Amino acid sequence: MSPNGAPAGRQIIIDGLWHNNPVFRQVLGICSTLAVTNLVLNTLVMCAALTLVLAASCLTVSLLRRFTPRNIRMMVQTLIIAFYVIIVDTSLKGYWPEMSTALGPYVGLIITNCIIMGRCEAFAGTSEPIPAMIDGFFNGLGYSVLLLAIALPRELLGMGSILGIPMPYFSTGWDRWIIMVMPPGAFFMLAVFVWICRSIKPRQETAQ
Amino acid sequence: MTQKRWYAVVYMFGVTAFFSSMIIGLARVTAERVHANEQLALERAVLTALGQAQGKTNAEIHRMFVEEFEPMPGDNSFKWVKDGTVVGYAVGIAGKGFWAPIAGIIGLKPDRRTVTGIAFYEQNETPGLGAEITKPAFRRQFEGLELAPGPQPISIRPYGAQLDKNAVHAISGATQTCMRLEVLINEDLRQWLEGPAEEAGK
Repeated sequence: MSPNGAPAGRQIIIDGLWHNNPVFRQVLGICSTLAVTNLVLNTLVMCAALTLVLAASCLTVSLLRRFTPRNIRMMVQTLIIAFYVIIVDTSLKGYWPEMSTALGPYVGLIITNCIIMGRCEAFAGTSEPIPAMIDGFFNGLGYSVLLLAIALPRELLGMGSILGIPMPYFSTGWDRWIIMVMPPGAFFMLAVFVWICRSIKPRQETAQ
Repeated sequence: MTQKRWYAVVYMFGVTAFFSSMIIGLARVTAERVHANEQLALERAVLTALGQAQGKTNAEIHRMFVEEFEPMPGDNSFKWVKDGTVVGYAVGIAGKGFWAPIAGIIGLKPDRRTVTGIAFYEQNETPGLGAEITKPAFRRQFEGLELAPGPQPISIRPYGAQLDKNAVHAISGATQTCMRLEVLINEDLRQWLEGPAEEAGK
């Protein structure tokens, strides 16, 4: 985000996806990054749920910002976030029970995902509704891109499949690295990707 | 006005009431579906425990369950009747797991001794550790077990221990889950074995 004034739409998008990426720049939402990335499908649904909740929460927080007293704003934000999370959770339970079981407690834990509270506080609480929603959506997308980048190699190396579909060579000739789908695998991959992404960034800054 | 103390209280009440009523509305709309999904999970567990669920769609499972299963005394226990003869039993097992309740089904042959399988339809144990009880690797161990007479029909032994005909290996790293699972399986099995004994003779 640019330091002075409200950033323009394009800038918000690039910030959310890259310059201010929630995972490797703001280092937010790491808990879910580690927890759900062992299977690509779980990751996809988690990302979709988070992006939806994030965009909707930012929009709502922004719409209510003029009426919300400052001293209770965080209570209101938590309420709004919880509201959208429960909607996603109930919908999954009703219409996609298998995924609801697979994600288990993680959907409910979106409420505590620091990205949402972070964006509501840092951006939505002081911005117009549409930019706030764009910011939420693209921060969610920035989170999703990195999560998928972590989930793809984890499932491929650990299970020999992608989205549950066996991959050539990896499902037959490959000696599966079980550790990749276990918690340590998440730490390894997260570290590698944060390292890669942060190494690219400085060059861009000098270019600007 | 937004600085007034009463405003903050009234505002919070208003916002909470608004969002809560929307959620209550949604819960009402989906309640029936959620209930149907839970029922289907139970039906699938019953058929899985008896080795009948493989390759069946939800509709096929529901049809078979409705046509061939009769409820029995005991929570979520069923008799599998085909052409007038009992071809199996599905015994409901439920109790406290490590984090949350565990509920499942143990399938028995008509001799009421040989286990055909086990399946779970509710659990919230640690993914990768306790939750491994739902994985085929753990569940397959139950197929073909013979219940022991006495207080401990089934025992779950530490990994590597010598196994009797009624025992399976526990999951390493999920000691608490396995201990509680052993307790809840045995409590409910015992109760079931003692319960409808006179009915079995019919």
